[in-house]
Amino acid sequence: MGPYRAMARIAWRNALAYRVPFLMSLSMMVFNLVAMFALWQALLGDGNSLAGFTWPQMKAYLLVSFFTNCLVSTFTDFAMASRIRSGAVAVDLVKPVDYQKSRLAEALGFALLEAAAAATVCAVVLVAFGGVPLPSPGRLALFVASLAAVVPLKFLIAYMCGLLCFWTQNYLGISLARGAVSGILSGATVPLAFFPAWLRQVAEVLPFQAVTNTPAMLFLGRNPGLPGALAVAVQLLWIVALWWLARRLWHVAVRRLTVHGG
Amino acid sequence: MHTLRVYRRSLGAHLRATLEYQADFWILVVAAVLTQGAGLLLIATIFARVPRIHGWGVWEVVLIFGMMVLAQGTSELLAEGTWGLAGLINRGELDRMLLRPYPCLLQVCSSRVGMNAFGNLTVGGGLLVSALAHLDVAWTPGRVALAAVLLPSALLIKVSLTVVANSTSFWLRGAINTFAGGLDQLGELTKYPLSIYSVGLQAVLATALPFAFIGFFPVSVFLQHGRLAWVGLLTPLVAAWCVFLAVTVFSRGLRRYESAGN
Amino acid sequence: MASTSALVEATGLVKEFRRPRKAPGLAGALKHLVTRRFDVHRAVAGIDLRIDEGESVAYVGPNGAGKSTTVKLLTGILVPTAGEVRVAGVVPHRDRVANARNVGVVFGQRTQLWWDLPVHETFELLRDMYRIPAADYRRSMDRLCEVLEIGPLLPVLARKLSLGQRMRADLAAALLHEPRIVYLDEPTIGLDVSVKDRVRAFLRQLVDDGTTVLLTTHDVGDIEEVCRRIVVVDEGRIRHDGPVGVLRDTLASNSTVRFQLAAPAPLHLIRERLPDAEVTTGASERDLVVRFDRTLRPAGAVAATVMGLVEVRDLRIDDEGVADLIRRLHDRDSPAALNGAG
Repeated sequence: MGPYRAMARIAWRNALAYRVPFLMSLSMMVFNLVAMFALWQALLGDGNSLAGFTWPQMKAYLLVSFFTNCLVSTFTDFAMASRIRSGAVAVDLVKPVDYQKSRLAEALGFALLEAAAAATVCAVVLVAFGGVPLPSPGRLALFVASLAAVVPLKFLIAYMCGLLCFWTQNYLGISLARGAVSGILSGATVPLAFFPAWLRQVAEVLPFQAVTNTPAMLFLGRNPGLPGALAVAVQLLWIVALWWLARRLWHVAVRRLTVHGG
Repeated sequence: MHTLRVYRRSLGAHLRATLEYQADFWILVVAAVLTQGAGLLLIATIFARVPRIHGWGVWEVVLIFGMMVLAQGTSELLAEGTWGLAGLINRGELDRMLLRPYPCLLQVCSSRVGMNAFGNLTVGGGLLVSALAHLDVAWTPGRVALAAVLLPSALLIKVSLTVVANSTSFWLRGAINTFAGGLDQLGELTKYPLSIYSVGLQAVLATALPFAFIGFFPVSVFLQHGRLAWVGLLTPLVAAWCVFLAVTVFSRGLRRYESAGN
Repeated sequence: MASTSALVEATGLVKEFRRPRKAPGLAGALKHLVTRRFDVHRAVAGIDLRIDEGESVAYVGPNGAGKSTTVKLLTGILVPTAGEVRVAGVVPHRDRVANARNVGVVFGQRTQLWWDLPVHETFELLRDMYRIPAADYRRSMDRLCEVLEIGPLLPVLARKLSLGQRMRADLAAALLHEPRIVYLDEPTIGLDVSVKDRVRAFLRQLVDDGTTVLLTTHDVGDIEEVCRRIVVVDEGRIRHDGPVGVLRDTLASNSTVRFQLAAPAPLHLIRERLPDAEVTTGASERDLVVRFDRTLRPAGAVAATVMGLVEVRDLRIDDEGVADLIRRLHDRDSPAALNGAG
């Protein structure tokens, strides 16, 4: 078994150790889902539609958004930040494996657990609130592919935020700020269709929209055919670009650690 | 008087210590502003398309929202230490507080200052003022008196509920109290008009876990909004009940600690 | 108050802990919800202790003997299951505030400084909590800064202190309100030799100045240098109570000779020749340990007797001190450990 698969497995085993932050963020997202369901039902429940969303479509949007929120929500940056702050990261540096790939392996391992938890919640909500329009098999396949791309994408954003702990002790603030910014710009707080035009244009050129907006639009069939495939391609492009950017950031951070002694 | 002075001094000392790290302070202020900004964006985008939700207009909802943010900031300022209670019990550090001639609950509460407090107090206060300015409230002496009773009562409810939630740490062993975190998140539901929720959830948020008395009911009675506006008059009573509950649950827990060791 | 001079008076002190008896796993947890069975553990099983004003008492015993529980009962952190405690006439767990003014506590393993604050803020908060008058505070601080050399530590965050610095600051924090009795729970644990010496010298000075001290420790140096009285506790009961000096004198008459033999030791033969000595084997069958009373026979006679029976490769003579007493106490298989020491 290669070192990265081993790390993904260790992440599973560590899941128990990280169950507290995981359950915290899960409960937060579940309560948020409850609030959003109630709020949008109040607005759309009697057959209205807003910005092109009917109530069944909004339900689907909220569930996809909840699902992407759950992926890579706790493990990566939380564990990284605590190791960087305690200085334990020095041990990671002397291991014969690539730091970034190792963290990705862990995030992937943990994402399986997060996906399972999120899927359970979604299933319960579907039973309680009734169905949502399901996409055709072809679009469903594209949706699943884009969902899979969300994991490395969210990982890279979280990873770069985690690296900021080389500069500041205050991870709480960074994590809250990241949550707020990516919540807004990904479409998780409100669908991008509700944004004023300028904010929408800003969001569309940033990587965050690929986290929630892209899979949600695919699920709802808002971009059939080629545009849908292109959206997934954009996700992949962002992964490559952010992967490279994260590497640059890592080198700068490590130089800082080794030169200034943390 | 002596008790209050020591409390203030303890908070002041922690404040001074944390303000030493200016960057951390600003990161948290920005994070709080961004987090609440995301919530406001949701409200703004919704009200850009619909004039009212269940009869509630935009500035009325902002007033509720502002009360919640202000209460959160107050709790972070005055009772942030309770979030460390589980850890204090878990590590046996409550012992030293029992050895000092000062109420243990107050020592716990003042053992930290939440740095988010400043961001949240500023945002919450700003929202409160601008909502009241837009709502064209007739400031009769009666109204002023009502506000003077409602505001501190509502804030006290939030602080007390935080203490109650965290006092469960005396029974739940563990270094972090996930239950309290979940309960706090549940309270976030009351940032929106209560009527959007199912009757059961409304009942819970109005009675067993009276989070609705932090924003929704006080605002209802102050604006004379809705059939149930009169319920808001109970806010001071609910506050008294919550304080009683906080003190009782905490001292019950403490008695358990004293006889059970750790 | 039972007596005018007894500062600490504990009678029939008992503390039981109930531990839930749970089978492992979810099934066990569910079963426990229904049946609620508990194991009762007696951490303190009937202790009578009287400490007079100005005494310095070492409270020793193996891990789990009930030392810390006793200290927690005496300080009012725990409520006793049975028995009575009075410290300076106050029942600690009932009148915590009054008790807090009379006592100071130092836990070697835990700090009582505010972790996130500079040290001087801790002192100022304590001053406010204990309502120490300004003049007294200044006098107290001046003295503590001088003897503990904590002046340079005052602006430092508590969590940034080294262990030795932290302990000095902790001592100062516990003594700021000039308590009548100070409880010290392993105050020198983990400290390096030079810091240990400073802490001990400081504690000795404290005792000489008339402060009553109760010290729990595993470190013999602490006992011999600071305390005049030793109380030994095991399995929740007091096993020995007397002056440290007498204990040392009694033990000093005990000697041990350790032999390294060429062949396995013929234990029964040696025991026959040395009926009043304690004859055991050490790490291997070829290591022989003979413990005897030096006043009854000299070490040379013991050595000669053994050499007459078996070929001896090497031997070493040890006189016992308090260290051996503690070591033997910790070895629970030897019930006769304290013979002659009472």
